[in-house]
Amino acid sequence: MKTQNSPSKRAIAAALSLLALLPLTRGSARPATAGAEGSPISTIVRFENFGEKDGLPSHKVHSVLRAKDGRLWLGTNNGLCLREADGRFRTYGTKDGLSHPTVLGIAEDTRTGDLWLATMQGLTRMSGGKLTAFTQTNSGLPNNVVYGVSVIGDTVWAATAAGTGALDLKNNSWKIYDQSNSAMNEPWCYSVAQGDGVVYLGVWAGGVVEFDPRTGLFKAYRDPDGDFQIQLTPDSGPVVDVTSGVAYDAGILWQSTYFGLSRYDTSRATWRTWVQDKSPLLSNFINTVFAHGKVAWLATDRGASVTDGTNWVNYSVDENGRGIVRTYRPGEETQVRTMTTALADGFVTAIWADDHEAWIATSNGLSHGIFAGPSGSPAVASNP
Amino acid sequence: MKIINLCLMALTAATPIGAVSAAAAGEAPGSTPTSSETQSLPLSAAESSRFIYGTPGEEYPTNGGIPKEFWPFSSIKPYEKFFVTRTPFRGPGRDYPPPPNLKSLRIGLIDSPKYGANWDRSERTRAGIVQAIEEANRQRLPGELPFELVEHEGVAQWGGAANLAALLADENVLGYLGMIDGTDAHVALRVTLKTEIVMVNTSDPDPSLTETRIPWLLRVLPDQRQEEAKLVDSIVNRCGCRRIAILRAGDRFARVGSHMFGDFVRRLGCPAVQELLFSPGATDISYQLAAIKEAQPDAIFFLGEPADIGLFVRKFRDAGVKARFFGTDLLLEDEFLKNAGAASEGMMFTCLFDPATKDPLWVDFVSRFKTRWGHEPDVYAAYAYDGAQIMLSAIRRAGPNRWRIRDLVCNLDYYRGVTGWMRFDGTGSNIAPVRMVRYEQGRPVFEAEPEFAPPVARHL
Repeated sequence: MKTQNSPSKRAIAAALSLLALLPLTRGSARPATAGAEGSPISTIVRFENFGEKDGLPSHKVHSVLRAKDGRLWLGTNNGLCLREADGRFRTYGTKDGLSHPTVLGIAEDTRTGDLWLATMQGLTRMSGGKLTAFTQTNSGLPNNVVYGVSVIGDTVWAATAAGTGALDLKNNSWKIYDQSNSAMNEPWCYSVAQGDGVVYLGVWAGGVVEFDPRTGLFKAYRDPDGDFQIQLTPDSGPVVDVTSGVAYDAGILWQSTYFGLSRYDTSRATWRTWVQDKSPLLSNFINTVFAHGKVAWLATDRGASVTDGTNWVNYSVDENGRGIVRTYRPGEETQVRTMTTALADGFVTAIWADDHEAWIATSNGLSHGIFAGPSGSPAVASNP
Repeated sequence: MKIINLCLMALTAATPIGAVSAAAAGEAPGSTPTSSETQSLPLSAAESSRFIYGTPGEEYPTNGGIPKEFWPFSSIKPYEKFFVTRTPFRGPGRDYPPPPNLKSLRIGLIDSPKYGANWDRSERTRAGIVQAIEEANRQRLPGELPFELVEHEGVAQWGGAANLAALLADENVLGYLGMIDGTDAHVALRVTLKTEIVMVNTSDPDPSLTETRIPWLLRVLPDQRQEEAKLVDSIVNRCGCRRIAILRAGDRFARVGSHMFGDFVRRLGCPAVQELLFSPGATDISYQLAAIKEAQPDAIFFLGEPADIGLFVRKFRDAGVKARFFGTDLLLEDEFLKNAGAASEGMMFTCLFDPATKDPLWVDFVSRFKTRWGHEPDVYAAYAYDGAQIMLSAIRRAGPNRWRIRDLVCNLDYYRGVTGWMRFDGTGSNIAPVRMVRYEQGRPVFEAEPEFAPPVARHL
């Protein structure tokens, strides 16, 4: 297990990352931070990694969220985990009221600071430090296996194995959306994302479903060829109907799948798709996608990838455990470089990022991606 | 939870642990995990003639290996073809230590809901699995851990199997089996990606189950795509029928099946002249009968529970319908003949393997099964037995490590079971050829088919 370095070691590593990065193939001697130049994509120059030795309750981290107050929350295979101001990890488990130790998703109600936790056996609310479980038997939750959760206005949306549950916080009432009352082809939902006035549902075998709460109308975005074995043509719609995640920001809807990536520009109503080997996409197998501005962060089984649809920066781990960063920019040769640090593991399960940092959940620990500063030096990580 | 303490077989607690190579993890077809790569026990002499990992240079067939005339967009080169390689699992875990204080090697089973349409089939599935585990445990050497079946009855509710799959993870099973209903299997499969516990599905024929690219699944039952390609070939190409009607149940199983069947006949230039639904258990189908008769079909495809279909074919014959009748392998079940009576004459349907075969593996299995259960095994028991054998062998060789068990299950290319040779495609589904059967004087007559065997099997 890779663990966090001490501050002094971190500083040394940061300096080394800037001075000693050597190109592996093709590319010029441009430092790794150059991926940020002329592109809206921030570039990670260094990873800090955290594992069970550092206090994580499990090697497997399923979800990560930096709350509005700056606190970092992790959903692991063995409880909800908070990174305290001193850097220590505090775990909340079933004894504290968590409905199941496996926390697959985390959402924050930014108005109240309440956290909503998607677990393998129900939804849990953390409010004022108190954990309250919502299950099939004590609430209107459609199914106890909750893959994702999102808080949109006064509604908590739960993506479950038997439909999408919508809890109205004003009157504590539930609605269930499935194939019988919506445009969902199947009831299985994987994730929910907030759009501009609409809600996007990532539906297993149903593509992406858009719901407009104002009109109550649904619209489905489906794979135009309707076949799992092929993608008939690129850029014509969702790459496939088996959706693993949806994310939305700045007018762009992203769909992650295990077959590739799709992007829908809502202002132009145009689709783009990417599959590995025909694009810089690291892997077709994308566990989920996180959107920040016009950029998508992709959690793949081969590492983390960030793209605006034109530029790409991919972070992977080679067979010797070294961090590899590949930068793709239109009209330029691909830059391939080693890093002095690497992701905790190549199997990435979830990502949270903003303009300053990225937190990357993996199947074997947590990585903190530290971005290059304006001058190419590492930005100061402000994690409490 | 019902835990059945069966007798026991398997491996020692000191099973070797190690990481597999990328090839063994399924990076490409033709990757043969050897004992040195997997740090797993090698195949025993008896197993080595039945398990084949990889055929070098070979690319997996797409579209379930069915003839190209049935493929969608077959005249267009697609931008991307999926499933020409097996989806690997690239996550960690193969070097994780075994669970502490292990007292048994747990295998999960999710049964069908009691009182549902599939309960009897689920019982037969269970019998095949129990038989395999009992036999394995009887061969256990001193000091080896026993296999233990952890069993849950299904829940007749959307998503119920997801809860059970999550529960099996909490109960520390190393893998799990079962699931006839396509909905159950789909929702459980989604959980397996999170829990990282391999599923060997023995009885769900929905083709889309394995087309989800979740690399924690192997299915041993040939699927509806295999069956209906064979059926349509028989109906159109062999029998020359051109006006084909469909009467099917209004459930998910029949929806998926009829959709595929409808596509296949359309691609052969014979779009269905009529497709009508019935409610499972319905007895009055006068409207459907009149409408289908009006369409003057020369072939009718019936899809649903065998008791319903038996009743309906009798009604259709009584009403003077002369069309040829076709159906699927479920019509081998007794309820069909009981209701159809003489109207079954000439009915043609698919069969996933030939239970009249004289293959010694099959004959010996039938004998053992009859001794244990007092009756002959059916298709569900047989495939469940084969699926359990694959799981048991993987656990025995890999040790109590779910990730290495996955590698040995999901990288399997061919398996020789009591149902014959299986071939697994890029989705992890058995695409061994199915055959046709027809009823003659109340008895099934199995059409002769060339025995399927992998080319490499000739060298074994």
